Amino acid sequence: MKVALVTGGSRGIGRACSVKLAEMGYYVLVNYQSNETEANNTLSLIREKGSDGEILRFDVSKKEEVEAAIEQWQAAHPDTYIEVLVNNAGVRRDNLMVWMTDEDWNKVLDTSLNGFMYITRVVLKNMLVKKYGRIVNMASLSGLKGLPGQTNYSAAKGAIIAATKALAQEVAKKHVTVNAVAPGFIRTDMTQDLDESQLKALIPMGHFGNPEDVSEVVGFLASKGACYVTGQVVSVNGGLYT
Amino acid sequence: MTKEEIIDKINSVLEEEFEVDKTLFLPDAPLMKTLDLDSLDLVDMVVLIEHNFGIVLNNSDFAGIKTFQDFYDFLYEKLN
Repeated sequence: MKVALVTGGSRGIGRACSVKLAEMGYYVLVNYQSNETEANNTLSLIREKGSDGEILRFDVSKKEEVEAAIEQWQAAHPDTYIEVLVNNAGVRRDNLMVWMTDEDWNKVLDTSLNGFMYITRVVLKNMLVKKYGRIVNMASLSGLKGLPGQTNYSAAKGAIIAATKALAQEVAKKHVTVNAVAPGFIRTDMTQDLDESQLKALIPMGHFGNPEDVSEVVGFLASKGACYVTGQVVSVNGGLYT
Repeated sequence: MTKEEIIDKINSVLEEEFEVDKTLFLPDAPLMKTLDLDSLDLVDMVVLIEHNFGIVLNNSDFAGIKTFQDFYDFLYEKLN
């Protein structure tokens, strides 16, 4: 049984990644924090692809929850390990810096950046010992270019990009690859408050992307064929930022 | 376990895992260099010790371990 874990896997890009990995034959652990119904819907989609998986509830920003969930799962499945990790969980709390609250700053950093660290640290050990692993981190156009009103999100995603490059070099000799995907405007719950009719004028392709546009790239980076690709950031943005 | 039993077991385990002839495991020989390990490879060592001796280590435990004798002494202390 080949196992993949997608954090924030119940909706949007995370759901598309979960389904893509199921198509690739993975048993998919779908992490979610709050929406069990959507997590179960994702699990149904995984099963429709002829694969299987399970839902795992934990908050990636809570170290104890992360470690308990992964260690319990691993203890119950001693004959396998999580060989693909998609660090997708993230939240937006947009505001101008002058109005930014500590809470909104910390919430975004805790989930996107600390969450990446807590989960990656615990999953990485087996990848190193088994000498095979694929880690794909969900970055963002915001982390590459910086977007006004998103200093917290840009800081978190920019840090994810830097961490991706550092970790990739750290673990390359163990055949563990670490890459990032940087989506632009993608139609998900997270972007439903954005005015596509106005923003699409900025995008050379003239429209928002779909979650599957991102998950195709994630699927490639998670594949065995991507063995010599590491420390990279792949933009999926319709030409919005090159 | 006696120290001799520990030495016999760890030498066999290290030889098998890291594919280095155990005749090179002299008490004063440098542990990491002899086994051709770098800091990242300590993960393999930690897991190896956990599986074979049931003790959980982290990389800081290796800070004072330079030679095989240091390692044997460390394991003996941990196991007793």
